[in-house]
Amino acid sequence: MQVEYPKSEWTDKFLLLDMFEGLKTTFRELFKPKVTVRYPEERLEPANRFRGMFRFSFDRCIACKLCAVACPIDIIYIDVHDEQREVDGKMKKIKVLDRYDIDVKRCMFCSLCEEACPTKPKSIWLTTKTYELATYDRNDLYFNMQQLEYWDDRPRYEGLPEEEEHPRIEGGQRLLER
Amino acid sequence: MNPWMHYLVWPLVKFLVAFIIVQGIVAAMNWVERRLLGFVQARLGPNRVGPKGLLQIIADPVKFLLKEDIVPANAETIAYFLGPILPLIPTFLVYCLIPFGPPPTFVAARVNVAVLLVLALTSTGVYGIILGGWASNNKYSLMGGLRSAAQMVSYEVPFGLSIVGVLMLSGSLDLVKIVNYQADHIWNLFPQLIAAFIFFVAMTAETNRTPFDLPEADSELVGGYHTEYSAMKFAFFMLAEYSAMLVNCCLMTLLFLGGWTLAIGGYGLTTQTLQHMGIPGGMLGVLIFIVKVMTFMLVYIWFRATFPRFRFDQLMDLGWKWMIPLALANIVVTGVVVLLGQSLNFQGEVVLSIAGAAIVGYTLYNLRPRAKVVHASRVSEV
Repeated sequence: MQVEYPKSEWTDKFLLLDMFEGLKTTFRELFKPKVTVRYPEERLEPANRFRGMFRFSFDRCIACKLCAVACPIDIIYIDVHDEQREVDGKMKKIKVLDRYDIDVKRCMFCSLCEEACPTKPKSIWLTTKTYELATYDRNDLYFNMQQLEYWDDRPRYEGLPEEEEHPRIEGGQRLLER
Repeated sequence: MNPWMHYLVWPLVKFLVAFIIVQGIVAAMNWVERRLLGFVQARLGPNRVGPKGLLQIIADPVKFLLKEDIVPANAETIAYFLGPILPLIPTFLVYCLIPFGPPPTFVAARVNVAVLLVLALTSTGVYGIILGGWASNNKYSLMGGLRSAAQMVSYEVPFGLSIVGVLMLSGSLDLVKIVNYQADHIWNLFPQLIAAFIFFVAMTAETNRTPFDLPEADSELVGGYHTEYSAMKFAFFMLAEYSAMLVNCCLMTLLFLGGWTLAIGGYGLTTQTLQHMGIPGGMLGVLIFIVKVMTFMLVYIWFRATFPRFRFDQLMDLGWKWMIPLALANIVVTGVVVLLGQSLNFQGEVVLSIAGAAIVGYTLYNLRPRAKVVHASRVSEV
């Protein structure tokens, strides 16, 4: 598409046409839909590759401690003990997790632990869509194994309406509506 | 009637009522402005406090009252305290002079040189800004104060000159008489179109509003003259600014838009018609007046949402090289037409109105969409 603009005449400047053009633009803008997302009532739905809060799977974890080694600020604490167990009819020495804690308040969400994890699918991953991590106490951000696996159960800020009531909005949706 | 009642008590009561209503409007305007600016910028503006954010009107003053009042260590104490108060006094005094509805009920003080008095009072508002800017002992504040001084003094000239045409047509300095003249003939907006435009631009500059907000200029002067002011003192500056805006809008309505009347050539809701209807008629007049004033307040906000700030030399150029010559030319043309009309027996204001309407029409004609879209497939043919 190509646009041809007419030559401006001297009267255009004298009549302040550009100024009125600007006023017209802002007036039109007044009635267009707004892009603001009213946060607690409406929520943004992050994209699929969004890097959010951790999720840990006890069943997939082989207790190899690679994530703890990969962690640049050493905030993954793992305790393991060995157990003799019967697997496929043979007695085998197996590592069992006692403790898997992440001090999330110091975490920078670099996702190196996820990269280091050898299991498939990963037993620690960050591609969840949760970003509401604020707490009233900083110790609430020290997550142990159970919390990492089931953090959806932790109490949210009360006084909000039910989850179904607030619509989820995809990023950029509001801009497309304009 | 008891002269004490007639000359002191009643005017005082009227002034207080007007004052309270005006302060309410000023507080509400702050919310309206933020909301509308938000809408223009694809935001929502303040909408959390109360329904549609309406309680913001109360929340803001409460915040101002509760905040800590800081006085800079090296401030010039007396001048620093006078700074926010000085611009308030003249703007509040002006409300005595402004007729909000048909006289005598809705006019606190009817003065036969009201226009001059209003101009004199509003022009003293600059002292507070200069004093405040200087007393803060801050480079940026001083810069803002100086800019404000230069700007307000410069724009006082076209501000005054643009009114002269109106005074020549209506032949009086009494605001009530000017309004009555407009109801009997035509709104001064049409015969004095250029004067109305100059008046509006000059009053925007007088009240330091965008695009003439160089004294504040938050991006270069960190807020200008009120940088060092906090809490209620800052609120006083804002109050003075918005009150001055409202005064100027009232003046614009009275001088160019027929005040509380809604009539052309003596037909419609003239002052006499409203007076015959008694108190309801008076209230109707006040309502018409407020609607007109609010329209101009919204135009103020509209301007702020649209135009970027002038450079200082551009501002001075506009004032001295364009506004003043234009205002002088307007006076000359108006005078010639009125004199010719008197000697050749035609209505001068009708001729001027036709000229004004022609300018409006030509502008609207030129505002039509003129850019032509050539489709890509046809570019090769062209």
